[in-house]
Amino acid sequence: MSALTTVPKRRRRSVIARIGWSRFLQEIGMLAPAVLLMTAFLITPFLLSFWTAMTNQPLVPRPTPVRFVGLNNFMRILSDDLFWTSLWNVTRFTIWILPAQCGLAFVTALILNQKIPFRNVFRGMFFLPAITSMVVVCVIWGTLFQYPTGPLNQIVVSLSGGYIQPIDWLGDPNWAMFSIVLLSAWQAYGFQMIIYLAGMQGIADELYDAARIDGAGPWGRFWHVTMPGLRPTHVFVLVITTIQAFKLYTQVAILTQGGPKSSTETVVHYMVRAGFEEQKLGYASAVSVILFLIVLVIALIQRRLMRRFDV
Amino acid sequence: MSDLALSPRKPTTSLNGYRVVQSISVFVIALVIISPLFMLFIASLKDDRFQILADMGSFRAFWVDNPTLNNFREVGNFAGELAFGRYLGNSLLILFSTVSFGLIINSMAGFILAWGSLPGRALILSLIIALYVIPQESIIMPLLIIVSRAGLSDTFTAQILPFVASPLYTFLFYQFFAQLPKELYEAASIDGASIFRTWWSIFMPLSLPALATVSILMGIEAWNQYLWPILITQTDYARPISVAIATFFGQDSIFWDRAMAASVLMMIPILIFYLAFQRWFISSFVGSAVKG
Repeated sequence: MSALTTVPKRRRRSVIARIGWSRFLQEIGMLAPAVLLMTAFLITPFLLSFWTAMTNQPLVPRPTPVRFVGLNNFMRILSDDLFWTSLWNVTRFTIWILPAQCGLAFVTALILNQKIPFRNVFRGMFFLPAITSMVVVCVIWGTLFQYPTGPLNQIVVSLSGGYIQPIDWLGDPNWAMFSIVLLSAWQAYGFQMIIYLAGMQGIADELYDAARIDGAGPWGRFWHVTMPGLRPTHVFVLVITTIQAFKLYTQVAILTQGGPKSSTETVVHYMVRAGFEEQKLGYASAVSVILFLIVLVIALIQRRLMRRFDV
Repeated sequence: MSDLALSPRKPTTSLNGYRVVQSISVFVIALVIISPLFMLFIASLKDDRFQILADMGSFRAFWVDNPTLNNFREVGNFAGELAFGRYLGNSLLILFSTVSFGLIINSMAGFILAWGSLPGRALILSLIIALYVIPQESIIMPLLIIVSRAGLSDTFTAQILPFVASPLYTFLFYQFFAQLPKELYEAASIDGASIFRTWWSIFMPLSLPALATVSILMGIEAWNQYLWPILITQTDYARPISVAIATFFGQDSIFWDRAMAASVLMMIPILIFYLAFQRWFISSFVGSAVKG
C-alpha cells in the first residue's frame, strides 16, 4: 500500500506518523507566533516597500487613487543634490567613525583582556555609554559642545595654550559632522569592545605559550598571535560599524536637524523628512529601498571576506 | 614605585613598567568614559540652568553645593506639560512587554528550529538568517502604512508587537539550544515529556546566559527606540520618554536643568535592568554572533 502513495503525501504522513498529531500541532504552535509576526511586520513591509517605491503613495489617504509611477521616484532621488549630499555625509561619517569607534573598542578590549585590578568593574563601566539612550547622550553632549564656553572648548583652548579659538562644534558646517562622530563613537563603542573581548578570549592560550617559548615579547605576541587570531573579528566589527554608520539618524535629528548647511544631512534623515514631513511616502520608500541595497552590498562584502578568512 | 619593588618574585618582572602604563591608561579611559555620565548626574541636582552651563567649564561640574531634587519634582508629573512620570511608565511598559514576549516567542521558535521535527526547518532557518540583513530603517515607511491602516497609531501595541519577533534573537536562541547535548533532549522524550514541556522545563532553565544576552540587547533596543515612536505617537497616551526628552531641543532656550533630570530618570531603569543581567551577559555575549 505504501508503495502506491505519492512521494510528498508519504512524506507528510511519515512526519505525523513518526511524531504523532499532538506533537506536530505543538511544534507548529510554538513556531507560528514568531513566523507570523515576522511575516506581518518584517517580510510584508519589506516587500511592500518595493511596490510603494514605485507609486505616489501619500502618508494620509487622499481621495485621488494612488498612481503607479514606475521608476520616477528613483530618478528624482538620483537627480536630487541633497540626496547625494546626504550619501556623501554618511560616507564621511563612516570613514571617521571606523577608526574612532573601532579603535577605542579595540584598545579598551585589549586592556580589559589583561589581568588588571578590578577588571570586571571596568568591563561593566566601559559598557555604560552603550546602554545610555541616544537622546540622553544628546543632552549630555549638547552641554559639552556649548559654544563658546562649554567644557570641550575649555579643554581645547587651554590645551593649545589659547592658540585654538573656541569651536562652534554643532554650528560650524566644517565641524558639525566631526562632533557627531565624537559623541557617536563614545556612545556605541561598547558593543564592539565586547565583540573584540569575545574574539580575544577565543584565541587559544597554547598559542601565546608557544610564542613565549619562541622568545616573543608582549609586542611580538600582539603582532603574531593576537592580530592574526582576530582577523575574522576585525571584519565583523568593521562591517557592523559600517552598516550602523549608514543608518545614522537619531543624534543628527536631535542636535542639528541635518544642518548647518546640510552638512549633517543623512540618508535616513532625508528619508524621514520626505515621508513624514513632506508626506511623500512613495518617495521615502524609494529612499528606503536604496538604503537596503547599500546595506545588502556591505553584508555581501562581509560574507566574502569572512569566507576568505575561513570562518 | 615601592609597589613594584615589593613584587620581585613575579615571573614577569620585566613587564612592570608595562603594567603601570596599562593601569594608568585604563584609569584615563575610564575618566573619559564616565565623567560625562557623572556630570549629568551632578547637574540634575542643580537648580539653576544657567549655573549648570556656567559650571560645566570647570571642576564645579563634578560638585554640587546644595543638592536639590527640585528638577525631579518639576518633571516627575503624571499629567500636564512635563509629564515625565507618565512617559517613564510608558517606556517601562513597552520595555517589559517587548522583552517578555520576545523571550518566549523567539526562544520557542529557536527551540523548534534546533530540536523539532517539522519539515522545512532548514529553509525557515536560512530565511530567518537572510531577514537579518534588512535594517529597521528601511522598512519603517511601509510599516507605518500597515500599522496605521490597522488602526494602531498612537497605541502601545504599535510599539510592542512589531519588535517582539526578531530574526537575530530567534537565531541566537537557535544557536544556543543547538549546542546543548543531545542526551538532554533524548532523556526528556524517553520520560514522555511533550515538546513544549521539554522546552519550558528542561531547556529554558539551562539558558540563563542566552536569556540574559537577549534580554539586555532587546531591552536596550526597546528602551532607546526613537524614530518609530516619533512616527507613530501623536499624544501623551503612549509616548515614550525618549521622544519626550527630545522635545527639549525643539525649544528656543533649552531648560538644561529639566532635561538633565529627565535624562537621569531615563538612565535609572535601564541601568538597573543592565546590572541585573550583566553577570551573564558580558561572558556569553556575541561569541555566537561573531560566528554568525
